[in-house]
Amino acid sequence: MYAYSYDMSFVKNRLPGYVAMPKTVEEVQQIMKMANRTKTPVIPYTAGSNIGGLCIPEKDGSIVMDMKRMNKIIRIDEESRFAVVEPGVSHAELAEELYKRGLRFGWPVGPPSASVLSCAICHGIGGITGRYGLNSEQITSMEVVLPTGELTRVGSCAIQKDAWHSLLPLPLVGGLFTGWLGTTGVVTKLGIFTPAVPPHVEIVTTATDDLQDMYKYMLEFSRYEAADDLTAVSWWLSQVPIPYPYKEKPKDAPEWNSYAVLYAYTEKELEAKVEMFERTVKNQQKNGSSLQVTQYPEEAKRARTELPSQIVGSTKNYSKQAGGGISWPGTFTPANKWVPVWEKWREIYKKRNLSPSVRVTMYRGTHYGMLRAMTPINKQYPDQVENSRMAIVEALKVLLDEGGIPYKPPVDFAKEIYSRADPGYVDLIKKVKDFLDPNEIMNPGKLWIR
Amino acid sequence: MEWNFRNVDDEGELNLKHFFWRCTACGTCRSGYTYGPPPTFRKICPQGEKFGYEGFFASKGKAALARWMTSDPVLKNEFEWTPEYLKTLYTCIGCAGCQNQCLIDFKPHIIDTIEAMRAKAVNDGVGPLKEHHILITSMKNNDNPYTGPRSVRAKWMKGLEGIKDINSESAPVLYFAGCTPAYNAPVKNLALKTVSVFNKIGIDYGSLGKKELCCGSTVLRLGARDEFKRIAEKNLETFKYLHDERGVDTIVSSCAGCYRSLLEDYSLSEGYKDYMDGIKVIHTADFLYDLYKKGEFEPKNEIKMKVTYHDPCHLGRHVKEWIIDWDGKEQWKGSYMGVEDHGTFESPRELIKAIPGIQFEEMRRNQNNSYCCGSGGGVKTAFPDWAAENAALRVEEAEQTGAEKIITCCPFCHANLNDGAKVRNSTLRTIDLVELLDEAL
Repeated sequence: MYAYSYDMSFVKNRLPGYVAMPKTVEEVQQIMKMANRTKTPVIPYTAGSNIGGLCIPEKDGSIVMDMKRMNKIIRIDEESRFAVVEPGVSHAELAEELYKRGLRFGWPVGPPSASVLSCAICHGIGGITGRYGLNSEQITSMEVVLPTGELTRVGSCAIQKDAWHSLLPLPLVGGLFTGWLGTTGVVTKLGIFTPAVPPHVEIVTTATDDLQDMYKYMLEFSRYEAADDLTAVSWWLSQVPIPYPYKEKPKDAPEWNSYAVLYAYTEKELEAKVEMFERTVKNQQKNGSSLQVTQYPEEAKRARTELPSQIVGSTKNYSKQAGGGISWPGTFTPANKWVPVWEKWREIYKKRNLSPSVRVTMYRGTHYGMLRAMTPINKQYPDQVENSRMAIVEALKVLLDEGGIPYKPPVDFAKEIYSRADPGYVDLIKKVKDFLDPNEIMNPGKLWIR
Repeated sequence: MEWNFRNVDDEGELNLKHFFWRCTACGTCRSGYTYGPPPTFRKICPQGEKFGYEGFFASKGKAALARWMTSDPVLKNEFEWTPEYLKTLYTCIGCAGCQNQCLIDFKPHIIDTIEAMRAKAVNDGVGPLKEHHILITSMKNNDNPYTGPRSVRAKWMKGLEGIKDINSESAPVLYFAGCTPAYNAPVKNLALKTVSVFNKIGIDYGSLGKKELCCGSTVLRLGARDEFKRIAEKNLETFKYLHDERGVDTIVSSCAGCYRSLLEDYSLSEGYKDYMDGIKVIHTADFLYDLYKKGEFEPKNEIKMKVTYHDPCHLGRHVKEWIIDWDGKEQWKGSYMGVEDHGTFESPRELIKAIPGIQFEEMRRNQNNSYCCGSGGGVKTAFPDWAAENAALRVEEAEQTGAEKIITCCPFCHANLNDGAKVRNSTLRTIDLVELLDEAL
């Protein structure tokens, strides 16, 4: 039981009352029906590798439903470029099969053992977010066991059982099960878009003295929609592992470094993308930016495309100097708010003797993106865990004030989110949750308002 | 003699506790993954695959066991031994498959943590499992884990020529046959064929015969450190005597378990350097490969057969030299910096390929990502059906290569893989490398 009571986040341990490992959809349904009869909380669990305590029970006596034994890759449609997977399928497992077929997925920087399905339904981000959007935007169909135990389907598979190609043009009820942190149902099958791997790739890298110059470059370059992944990291995050405790940046080191992964189907397409990059750099420099083109170490470059990653940039490597844990204020934030948020975050983290190891990533063709502070935690010592937690929560408040929205939020975040939310929105969330889960058994407490 | 075993509740700055609290619970340890290209996914943890729950799975599960045992600082639990906890602890094969995946500071300390928890179980009077007691009692009474009397130990070599009695004659090489070929009839051929190969090559070697003792590995793997120390200290004294009085400078072991123990576990004794000064411990595969490279022999007889090779854990990924930044001068205190791999991977493969007519095909999981047969860590003794069931998975993998024989270099793997073949009604049999070589010489 104890192994299910914690994860790598700051969220306080709680032992589950039971752990169930269903092998079939029917067994999932039986567990849900029994849980409804007995009003026992159920927490869906795949790999437990999220960094927001999402699978740690909020109530005593809960059933953790470990989905690892439902681990089939049911289908890979090479021609139509989508796959259908069960919850226990890991990134590593799917990567092997997709690679054989020249396909890919939005592999995150999480461990290879993490679940593809959970990543997608929790709005995970990956290496193709700049080109295709979030992993939740790649969902093509779903099979879901509702909190009351009924089985349902959403998307094309609801109309024809073997058609897993699209959520549209039907009403987007898949939204009832994405971003809800396992509080509205147990997704037992998921169709996901798996685009082709283009044969040509170039990684272009830059550095700036500050985030102001970096964000301007990223905003301009993102207009071309040329990069599969357009990301910048603060000096502290680029160290890998993140220095723990805080370490002063050398004066001559640029504060921000960026990479853009440019995939192309032809050499000419790649040349055109590089030209767009060069044009952007020239334009930025002409306007007085500190932007410089840089050379990344080869290993660091490989880590950007060799995903799921075993080397630089994987979550475990970020955190290993602290020991045992990592968490974040991970957010979707307009790019023009990155600078004011960063400046406050840097002070908060420095004050708490933590490295301000921040990442920003542009999303597909938009003006906003991911802004997050990877925060290592020494899990052995509760006072150090609390210090990291406080930094994260303080940072979150600053972020919310500027209009950013956290993703995969632990309860500490949910409190802040819903305290500020429009009452109509809060009411709607409660109504949807109550409608789907009348006995309040699905991960109760995780949304804070329910 | 003082021994530098680590305990799960040791005090001090860089104790085991420090390292099992470095585990991030990321779960990378659960599968053998390499990016490649192409990316490969392989199941690597027999215990986790069988029992499923996180506490059983890989080094993530072992860190959880150790944290619970030493009290979680948030839950402040008072640890109590339970049958469930003991089962979780003793169904780990100790194969180190998870260790090979881990990339953080816990990595070098994973096997030590598992064995330290088992040592605590023994110290507290609750371990090992009741099925293991016969093994430990036999070790005390017979100096072997097989309940065989001492007088039977040398029966396998009766009437053999070419092998000296090292108790009375000098030779530079001691052949340390180990208990398994002496007491486990299905793998007796391993010792016989080793002798045959040595004779054909012309090695000057001897055996301790009836005076050979167990290496102690089996009891150490269960946590019975005192019994291990008793027997290891006797062996160290014998080895020194043989070096000083009989000119022994090389101990050749054909058992992966003995090899690992003599090389790694014995080095935890304070007197190891003095006792073993001038003595090299080597496995038969490396010993023969070195001679082959020097041109001392060449397999000439053609064997038209397709074979695959199974890497024993104790001969492969267990044999590593960890590079740790203990004083923090390079990175930070206790940080894992790298590893020097001393595993025997190349020698058996090269020797197999040197045989005319042999076609060699690798299994999907091999070398550092090999899948354990399931025999180690006391699992074969306490859970024989599961050990064979797990071996059957490995035999199935070998069948996929089209091989007619599985070659290995460990009598435990050898016996268990053949048990696994029976489980799946497979005709694919496992033999030792020396059996194959003997036919080729």
